[in-house]
Amino acid sequence: MSADLSISRLIKAPPAAVWRAWAEAEHFDKWWIPHPMECRSVRHDVRPGGGFETLMREGNGEWQPHLEGCFLEAVPEQRLVFTTQLAEGWRPIEPWLALTAVMSFTPEDGGTRYSAQVMHKTPEDAAMHAEMGFEQGWGTVIDQLGVLAPTLT
Amino acid sequence: MANESLDLAFHALADPTRRAVIGRLMQGPAPVSDLAGPFPIGLPAFLKHLKVLEESGWIRSEKRGRVRTCHVIPERLSAAERWLAEQRAVWEARTGRLADYVETHLAPKDSK
Repeated sequence: MSADLSISRLIKAPPAAVWRAWAEAEHFDKWWIPHPMECRSVRHDVRPGGGFETLMREGNGEWQPHLEGCFLEAVPEQRLVFTTQLAEGWRPIEPWLALTAVMSFTPEDGGTRYSAQVMHKTPEDAAMHAEMGFEQGWGTVIDQLGVLAPTLT
Repeated sequence: MANESLDLAFHALADPTRRAVIGRLMQGPAPVSDLAGPFPIGLPAFLKHLKVLEESGWIRSEKRGRVRTCHVIPERLSAAERWLAEQRAVWEARTGRLADYVETHLAPKDSK
């Protein structure tokens, strides 16, 4: 069984706009984490080797770690790659969830074909890992989806 | 699980209404009328979503008297498959938020 995901969506804005939403932290923080949780970028250095770190909080709670990683490739308005297996400056880390994501931004019909390919190790490995830390991590996502999904339509 | 049924399961999760229904049913069984309530779509369209969820094995429903009640089937997928399906849902939702944000705040006015 493959442990990869591919997501594709046509966005009604040029690649330059979609790129800004990814590359500029002030915009990125607005969509990366589902409402009502809040996102804060601690590191968002969009260049190869640049650090990528976000915190999250709910209400007025404490800021908690969400994701730490490193950008591997950054071709403005075309392609962006990050991994959670490395931190800033390509330093190896033991991530909570090991993944590498490849985002591409391609002009299409006056808009942008946005694609994300997300690679994991094996799902069995990830699921075992996930069962240990599900409550604290993204495992509550299905619950959140119930709150979030209607706002996405 | 065969790839074909896995494709069905993932396809079912690709829609925000269907994800919301699963999210709601994770909290417990619910009658169709309660499930349909929050959505600004007609009942026939909503029932089509339920059909997709039933056919892909995410939910089952039973009718008692006039009330049809839906349940989520958490055991449908192995832990690994469920995990991967959840990751897909995370990325689908994230991509949806990105698209909404860009189209609302960053798209040039003349491109719409």
